[in-house]
Amino acid sequence: MRQIKVGGLKNLIFIFALLAFVLALLRDIYLVDESLEPLNYLYLLLLIFLIFYVIHPLYVNRRLTRYYWERTKKHRLAVLGLAFIMFLVIVAIAGPFLTADPTEVNFEKKNIPPVGFSAEQSIYDVKTGQLTTTETPGTWQHPLGTDDKGRDMLAMLVSGARVSLQVGLAAVLIAIFIGATVGVSSAYFGRWVDQALMRFTDLMMTFPFFLLLVLIIFLYGSKLIIIILAIALTGWTGTARLVRSEALSLRTRDFIMASKSLGASDRRIIFRHMIPNVLSSVIVIATLSIPGVILAEAALSFIGLGDPSVTSWGRILHAGQRTLDTAWWIAVEPGIMLFLTVLAFNFLGDGIRDAFDPRSQI
Amino acid sequence: MKRLAILIIVLITLLASCAAPPPAVKGTFIEGQSGGDAETLNWLLAADAASFSYAGMCFDSLATYDNDWQVHLRHLAKPVEISGDGLTYTITIRDDLKWSNGTPVTADDYVYTLSNLMFSDWLNYTYQTDWQEEVEGETVFVEVELVDETTFVIKRQTIDPEFIDNAIYSLTPYPKHIAVKYEGDLEAFTEAEEFNNLTYTGNLGPYRFKEWIRNDKYVVERNPDFYLGQETGAPYFEEYVTKLFGTSTAVLAALEAGDIHHAGIEPEQVAKFKQMEGIKVYTVPTRAYDLIVYNLRNNGWEGLRNKTVRQALSMSINKQTFIDQIRFGFADPAFSFIPGPSPWYTEEGVPKFGIGDLYDKDKAKEMLLEAGYGTRESDDSISIHDKDGQPIKLTLVTTTGSKLTEDITLFVKQELGDIGIEVEFKLVPWPTQLRQYMMNKVSGSDQESNYNNGPDAISEETWDMMVLAFNTHPIAPSGSRVFFITDGGLNFWGYSNERVDELFTEVRSSEAIDPEVRKQMYAEISRLIAEDQSANFLSFPRSNQGFQVNVERIDPGMRLGWNHHEWYFAEPE
Amino acid sequence: MKRGGLQNYIIRRLIYAFLIAFGVVTITFILLRIGPSSPADKYLANISARTQDPSKVIEAVEARYGLDKPIYEQYFNYLGNLARGDWGWSFSTSLPVIELIRRHWIYSFQLILLSMLFASSLGIFIGIYSAVKQYTKTDYIATFFSFIGISIPNFWLGIMLILIFSVQLGWFKTYYDTGLPLFSLANLKALILPVITLGTGMMAGYTRYARSATLDNLRKEFVKTARAKGLPERVVIGKHVLRNAILPIITIIMFDLAGVVFGGAYLTEIIFGIPGLGRVSFNAIFANDYPVVITITLIGAMVVLLTNLATDIVYTWLDPRIRYD
Repeated sequence: MRQIKVGGLKNLIFIFALLAFVLALLRDIYLVDESLEPLNYLYLLLLIFLIFYVIHPLYVNRRLTRYYWERTKKHRLAVLGLAFIMFLVIVAIAGPFLTADPTEVNFEKKNIPPVGFSAEQSIYDVKTGQLTTTETPGTWQHPLGTDDKGRDMLAMLVSGARVSLQVGLAAVLIAIFIGATVGVSSAYFGRWVDQALMRFTDLMMTFPFFLLLVLIIFLYGSKLIIIILAIALTGWTGTARLVRSEALSLRTRDFIMASKSLGASDRRIIFRHMIPNVLSSVIVIATLSIPGVILAEAALSFIGLGDPSVTSWGRILHAGQRTLDTAWWIAVEPGIMLFLTVLAFNFLGDGIRDAFDPRSQI
Repeated sequence: MKRLAILIIVLITLLASCAAPPPAVKGTFIEGQSGGDAETLNWLLAADAASFSYAGMCFDSLATYDNDWQVHLRHLAKPVEISGDGLTYTITIRDDLKWSNGTPVTADDYVYTLSNLMFSDWLNYTYQTDWQEEVEGETVFVEVELVDETTFVIKRQTIDPEFIDNAIYSLTPYPKHIAVKYEGDLEAFTEAEEFNNLTYTGNLGPYRFKEWIRNDKYVVERNPDFYLGQETGAPYFEEYVTKLFGTSTAVLAALEAGDIHHAGIEPEQVAKFKQMEGIKVYTVPTRAYDLIVYNLRNNGWEGLRNKTVRQALSMSINKQTFIDQIRFGFADPAFSFIPGPSPWYTEEGVPKFGIGDLYDKDKAKEMLLEAGYGTRESDDSISIHDKDGQPIKLTLVTTTGSKLTEDITLFVKQELGDIGIEVEFKLVPWPTQLRQYMMNKVSGSDQESNYNNGPDAISEETWDMMVLAFNTHPIAPSGSRVFFITDGGLNFWGYSNERVDELFTEVRSSEAIDPEVRKQMYAEISRLIAEDQSANFLSFPRSNQGFQVNVERIDPGMRLGWNHHEWYFAEPE
Repeated sequence: MKRGGLQNYIIRRLIYAFLIAFGVVTITFILLRIGPSSPADKYLANISARTQDPSKVIEAVEARYGLDKPIYEQYFNYLGNLARGDWGWSFSTSLPVIELIRRHWIYSFQLILLSMLFASSLGIFIGIYSAVKQYTKTDYIATFFSFIGISIPNFWLGIMLILIFSVQLGWFKTYYDTGLPLFSLANLKALILPVITLGTGMMAGYTRYARSATLDNLRKEFVKTARAKGLPERVVIGKHVLRNAILPIITIIMFDLAGVVFGGAYLTEIIFGIPGLGRVSFNAIFANDYPVVITITLIGAMVVLLTNLATDIVYTWLDPRIRYD
């Protein structure tokens, strides 16, 4: 009896949160005459779902969570990865308040190298025909240097961290949501629903991923929200497949059959039993997909299809490849950040996967 | 004795130089590009500069200009004869031009190309308006008539002293004997083997088509039958290759390594290349100019419809700093649309906003105050705001993907920020910029959106300023009327000045045949346009072209490649 | 294993593949046609004439490419042409689409083939070796490097390689020379940096799969038996373990293929200036050249479908336990 009450309370809070969200959205559309930032609403919505569908179940099943955490801790590399990610998250949240404005240009201060390095800059005076070469040393004012428009590299990298994490999280969450829904529905309802959904998944899987992505972005614009949606819409198929096979094996398990015979509704079985059990594999997939998403966004920016109003690592790289020989740090720094972030997520994901896999011996 | 010796030496040297043999034909000249590839060699269908330049390697046009604007005849046998009333042009072509199948190129080929191809409906040639004129409110084509084997005549009904520069000199024929096979069938014409592989070009140009690997390289080989090369032995390269690279870094690395012989150099790399011994960098003027257009239509900030306000804004943007910092010094400040090297260029009386005395942020604030957009504070400073006391926020629109326009945008934001005007920018893709910001129509009507639907039309999105780049034909600048006259087809920002309209019409009248008169007319146009500041002309950029030092006979100037068939390698390759 | 069963299976799969192809074409076509941009856009940038009506230009261009007809008519025309073997005319390169692909596929093919050879041979070898020497220093180093390999953004790696080996050291040219004969040493040399760029990411993946597949098998009973029989370690690994491990490894490699072709190869081609299908499709997208885009997407889908089918057939052949009814 108590369980149902707790469940009921949680559902109540959830519905309330959603309602508040919708009200805020409506208010902004109709009452306040400001241009909507769909991106912020997306993040808010995702946050709500994250809390209720991931954080809460983990909290409720404390023992399970602790068990997985113990196993994960044994992977030193995974812990390192996690530490780096935490560091990045802190930087992303707090950083913009502590660093300079990444969009502030100052043409007088362009191309300053990082502290400890010194770069040669030659300026050709068109009127006199004189070539003056000066040595510009790095300064602590701009510890990581500046780019070709005088913007502070450190500030831009921090902003990029925020963007990468946001994109990574948002795209993955949406992709998983779609994938999990498709996978579970397919497994649970079976027969023609399964056939239809799986054929559709096959169709989506045969599209060359990156090509489709470039196509969508090129045709529909390169705003960040479109990039996130496009990545999610082209990448959910892996999750769907995996979730479906897991759910299929679950379906025939005793406790599901027991629930059913006890008269539990489909909805209840799906949400209360199936989803929490596929959650562990979903978390693994999620963690391992994030690096792919971050790299996809970086690759898009690199080709020139990124969001121009947002400072992302890929965009800095794109600008930096023109001046590889004179201002190498503009291309090297974001590349290192991308590399470390992706590495961290890969370590973590690998560790979590081993932790969740009952067969591996730790 | 000594004097005799000297005399003999001088004589021998003179003789030797007179009898100097033409340069040896050797080597493959490679030009590096980092832009896009051409679309097609079937140039009647093309609209990108690369296509025309590729095809143009294999045939010349009727005439061309050098860097001093002297006309050099190419396919023309003698200068074009213009009748006294300026309406009839008699064109005589050389008699030694031949197609690849041996038949001579005749005036009939020209007449056919004009009447049956360029003027036709089925082909829908993109640049038809070069050959059209307005007669009693209707747009008609000029009349073309065949006279004999090598002569044909073009008859106009309205005078246009620039018609010859704009249209006639760049005319090239298609072979009638091949084109008739495809006439009327657009698909067949598009896919025609002969036109896509330039198999017909005969002796019409210095080179012949050899191979084209898309996105990689375009190769033409020396044409031993070249009509201009019979005596001089030109051209002097065995092959001319245009090689495409993915990025500008790759092009410049190849230039540095000596793998290619010519490439355009980005402003920030010029200093490095100037230091290299094996490379010579030529800085040449171009005909393009960048400008900031102010929205004078009803959906822009109302202040922009006030000339004083526009002038004040332009006075707050330092053109010299812009040129020095963003263009690295490789540009000339622009105050009007006519480039410096043009014979129609004047500086006299043209107000130079943004430079020297006319770059004055304090004065700008005074002017804004006068116009009602500010208040004088107690400490005698001026705070700038809208008519209802609100801070002024302007929207600046630019195209994504161009580093340069982004730089300009940020610079403008900084400068205007200094006088208290906040600039918000919108980076949009070019098609969006065209459709949502430039095209306009009268709201509520069911007009079709177009670039100039009259003074009451507005664009779909609101905007205040736009960064763009246009270009002007240095000899025939009257083409720019499309931007500056009240019903100019591309006057999307709503500029209107009756006197300017009059002048652009006069420039096409019989009075303007006299170059001095025409120059005065253009001077007045420049003065008015600069004074009105409907757009803030920023600069005429210069381009930097790098060549390996062993390439000889380069004539630097706005028309750098006009004599490329005379270039040669000084030392063995 | 019933022969007839296998044949039927293949036929069914082929029909299925055909349906998927149809779906791919339709979806791509719809995407392209309902997008807001049009091939006429780039012509608008070049208008400088007198009172020329820019919308007339758009009209003219669209009429030229048959874009003014209603969408369903265009769709059926396109399908009809496809059925007759006419894959369309690429107006951004003035070539028939088939010809365009025929001229450029070889560059992509050689890059991908060499990268796969490089990645799989090195990757599998390292994977097996580190599985056999599990938990030793070699294992950890190998694992660590494979992580690094997967994590390096391959476009960044390409740029860094160019910076170091071409710009600074001058060992390689900074661009790919198509003039080199295909089977020459010079061509091979020119492909070294691109292959390393593309192959590193692939290799890292293969190493890990090889390692885990080998580990799985090493634990199995038959290995203990083989060792107990006194067989030398080399034979145990080489003959027994390998044969079992090879199947999943090949599966993974095949599945990866399509992703590689249109993902990593794409970027590698752009960076190194190799005029392969990746660059062709990229340029076609930017030029709104829809016949090319649809065709290349279709090719990509076909590659995926056929490799899946091939993998399944190979499975059947190699593993007598699997049957297809």
